[in-house]
Amino acid sequence: MLKRHYSLAMSVALLLLLLSMLLSLTLGSASLTLADIVSVLSGQPGVSPLADTIIWQIRLPRLVCAVLVGAGLAVCGAVLQNASRNPLADPYLFGLMAGAGLGATLVSVVLPPQLISLALGAFAGALFAVALVFTVCAGQRWHKVEMTLLAGVAVSFMLSAISSFILYFAEPFAANRVIFWLMGSLSRTDWHSVMLLAPVVVAVLLLALALRRQLDALLLSDESARTLGVNTTRLRLILLLATALLTACIVAQCGGIAFVGLMIPHIVRHFFGVTSARLLLGCAVVGALFMIWVDNLARTVLPQQEIPLGVITSLVGSVFFLLIMRRQRL
Amino acid sequence: MLELSAVCLRFGAKQVLHNISFSLQKGEFIGIIGPNGAGKSSLLRLIQGALSAQSGQILLKQRDISCFGTAELARTLAVVSQTTAPLFALTVEQVASMGLLPHKSWFELNSSYDRAQVKLALQKTGLSHKSSDVVDTLSGGELQRLYIARALVQQPALLLLDEPTNHLDIQYQHQILQLVKALGIPLLACLHDLNLAAMYCDKLLLLHQGRQVAFGSVAEVLQPELMAQVFGLPCEIALHPRLDKLQVTFMPACAERLC
Repeated sequence: MLKRHYSLAMSVALLLLLLSMLLSLTLGSASLTLADIVSVLSGQPGVSPLADTIIWQIRLPRLVCAVLVGAGLAVCGAVLQNASRNPLADPYLFGLMAGAGLGATLVSVVLPPQLISLALGAFAGALFAVALVFTVCAGQRWHKVEMTLLAGVAVSFMLSAISSFILYFAEPFAANRVIFWLMGSLSRTDWHSVMLLAPVVVAVLLLALALRRQLDALLLSDESARTLGVNTTRLRLILLLATALLTACIVAQCGGIAFVGLMIPHIVRHFFGVTSARLLLGCAVVGALFMIWVDNLARTVLPQQEIPLGVITSLVGSVFFLLIMRRQRL
Repeated sequence: MLELSAVCLRFGAKQVLHNISFSLQKGEFIGIIGPNGAGKSSLLRLIQGALSAQSGQILLKQRDISCFGTAELARTLAVVSQTTAPLFALTVEQVASMGLLPHKSWFELNSSYDRAQVKLALQKTGLSHKSSDVVDTLSGGELQRLYIARALVQQPALLLLDEPTNHLDIQYQHQILQLVKALGIPLLACLHDLNLAAMYCDKLLLLHQGRQVAFGSVAEVLQPELMAQVFGLPCEIALHPRLDKLQVTFMPACAERLC
């Protein structure tokens, strides 16, 4: 019964993903029909060069990035929730977002302009936050997951405070740039971002799938996983590092996109099942699907202006999540 | 099958286990008994490789357990301990399938043989009809049987049980011990209830303050003076009139001894 349930959910999600990807390419300020899209993608002659450029250079890389970012964040969230046995864990667990924020702030406000790109600064800041949390927690051998989570929260507040202090005295234009960046956007993404994100997303997904039995075993208790021959300390360290790296890459490319990593896994468990293989694949598809539509909303709702992604993910995601919660216990 | 010789364990300055030596043969059920803090659980954790001894030797199938890799150890011995419910809504079949873990490499899928093993384990533990139920809906006894099923899927040569009957109704306490005894796997169990131990075990190991006070057949270990000394209460031991099993009864201590 469960098997059929899963196959059905997966087929529906994959079909929706495919349709959404095609449909998304038609959305935008230049009006292109579905027929145009199909002929451009299949390389048929007789399409205007403008349409060709719009699709290949603007809309398609952004779409692929949306898929990668959504899938990546949702998979990270699922892995961290299982690995830390905490349903509230999300990819920004280790103060990653605050670290990225600080990195971006330093690069845009303090350092001379154009010395280091915002993305690189954010990436370095995110890794710094993770390194800080790991150094603090290294002594306790990852037995007490709660301590790691608390250390992440503390690091997060500390780094945010420093960023806020710098931004308070910064000139408004530079400060705005950082604040808007923190709210998340895919508008700066191109094929370069795809090349950067794709291998990392695929690698983390494969790693998590390879370790799916170990992840399942962790759901009971560390003790119980150890009796099955799982080295829980090493497993947790590998997973935490891999997800932190992926999240740092995503944050560096598109800023902060809240909620996806926290809530998509819960929604997926509801429809796909709770064992890791189903959960991870489901998260990859549903996360991608969700992010595509969030980005579509972001760039089409207001004329001539984009809404930050983080605003929409938080709003849409929370309403949807509360509705499900009201209907039945997750 | 399992042989301990002069095993000692210290936590810092505290001597937790002192000079433990006993052996378990094929087909035997040995019960570890003793008051709280006697070192029963520590002994089990030593044997499952979660702790390592300062001195002495633990041989499993004639090999030192420190030579076993973690997965290899999990294929050789399985542990059923006090039960915890899983975080998310796993089904009975999914939890039982976790026992396949030590037999599987990274991307290996479950074969039809694996599925048959899981099915067989659920059958032996009487949970076949519940295989797609969510674990949360099981009773305490059913949950404990599920963990035994998971241990069976590991196909172990030895089964360790840490207080398997704790928090269970009397009916389930007997059911669980009957079940594991019928499996035909050598068993080593910490047991709190001396009468249950007397009824189901072949041999007993009595621990007191980390020391091995007695090891032998049930009749050899269950001596009234010894029990009274270890458990601190006057004790009478009698043969049950119909069951041919020993029964331990502790009596209230005299008032002056309580003070």
